[in-house]
Amino acid sequence: MNTIPIIIDEKKLEVDPGKTILEVCRENEIEILTMCHLKGVLDIGACRLCLVEIEGINKLLSACTTKVAANMIIRTNTDRIKKYQRITTELFFAERNHVCAVCVANGKCELQDLGYKVGLDHIRYPHLFPQCEVDTSHPWYVMDHNRCIMCTRCVRVCNEVEGAHNWDVMNRGHQVRVISDFNSPWGESVTCTSCGKCLHACPTGAIWPKAIVQGQLQKNPGMINELVEKRKMKL
Amino acid sequence: MKSETAVPVKDMPKTDPRMKLIAAKLKKESFKPDALIEILHTAQNAYGYLPKEVLSYITKALHLPPSRVYSTVTFYHFFSLKSKGEHTCLVCTGTACYVKGAQAILNEIERGLGLKAGQVTADNKLGVQVARCIGACGLAPAVVLDDEVQAKVTPEEIVQKINAKIGTL
Repeated sequence: MNTIPIIIDEKKLEVDPGKTILEVCRENEIEILTMCHLKGVLDIGACRLCLVEIEGINKLLSACTTKVAANMIIRTNTDRIKKYQRITTELFFAERNHVCAVCVANGKCELQDLGYKVGLDHIRYPHLFPQCEVDTSHPWYVMDHNRCIMCTRCVRVCNEVEGAHNWDVMNRGHQVRVISDFNSPWGESVTCTSCGKCLHACPTGAIWPKAIVQGQLQKNPGMINELVEKRKMKL
Repeated sequence: MKSETAVPVKDMPKTDPRMKLIAAKLKKESFKPDALIEILHTAQNAYGYLPKEVLSYITKALHLPPSRVYSTVTFYHFFSLKSKGEHTCLVCTGTACYVKGAQAILNEIERGLGLKAGQVTADNKLGVQVARCIGACGLAPAVVLDDEVQAKVTPEEIVQKINAKIGTL
């Protein structure tokens, strides 16, 4: 296959066309922050953390949904991008009730890691402190909406990999919530297969197994892509 | 051909003409999942809102995940999960109507009927809603009473008309 030349952060690369900027960056060890991206499921460009600058385009474009084109000049770590990454991270924390100290995912949380990466020391926006439910109706798992960042990784895994489509998103704007069936308790779901893939896909402590305390949580989001690849092989 | 027509509906009289309307629409759209919004439109128009039993009937007939249907219903303002009332009073609060006194109309409705925007009377006879702009700025302030546009209304006039509507039922 013919390769095309592109430049990322002054680095000249020869890459396969058809790949996204994010894929190319990951292959070449150029760091791009992501939250809603999960290898193995469809990229939707929702979290806006992977924004990159492309010469000749005024807008910042999301690396996960933009394909590389010949002679693209891409920058991933300018001051403008860093500013937006910081804003996005602060808004994540301000939107729901994230309290790391009492969270089961403390130390194993992608949102927490993101906070460290962008050097989050304080949040400039007023917290919304919404009233969120904690759904403990499922026999094995818990869904805590306080810790959900609406990345919809669970929704996509459930739909694309498991094929159950137990999860979806209701309402709009700041009232959005991940729902099970007709916004009914997870334990009463008729579509859920209790496979637990959403738990591994969840980047925060929003979905976690019962009978687990802080420090014991093991999440393996890489498992999703392994599953997808194995299914393609049809061994 | 699949035989989805025979989806059983619990707690729903089979002779309900509104259910027949939905069943006919489902058949017309050949049970295609893509036609979800059109079918929801039919159901919303028939019932005035979307009861849960109707939603689960449509979900089963189209073979869609329940969460997808619920997501669609909550995304669009046209669809409603609660009854909007037998009679509806839609007060336009667009810029022109607002300047011409839409707030006074809402205040008068609240004073005279004890209803705020978005509420429905306990007997389900009247529901009051607001819209950002109904595109009738030349008629400001405009109110839509049961799909009938009332032009250049005064607060007293509209409460009188509402009372007449509720009274005649």
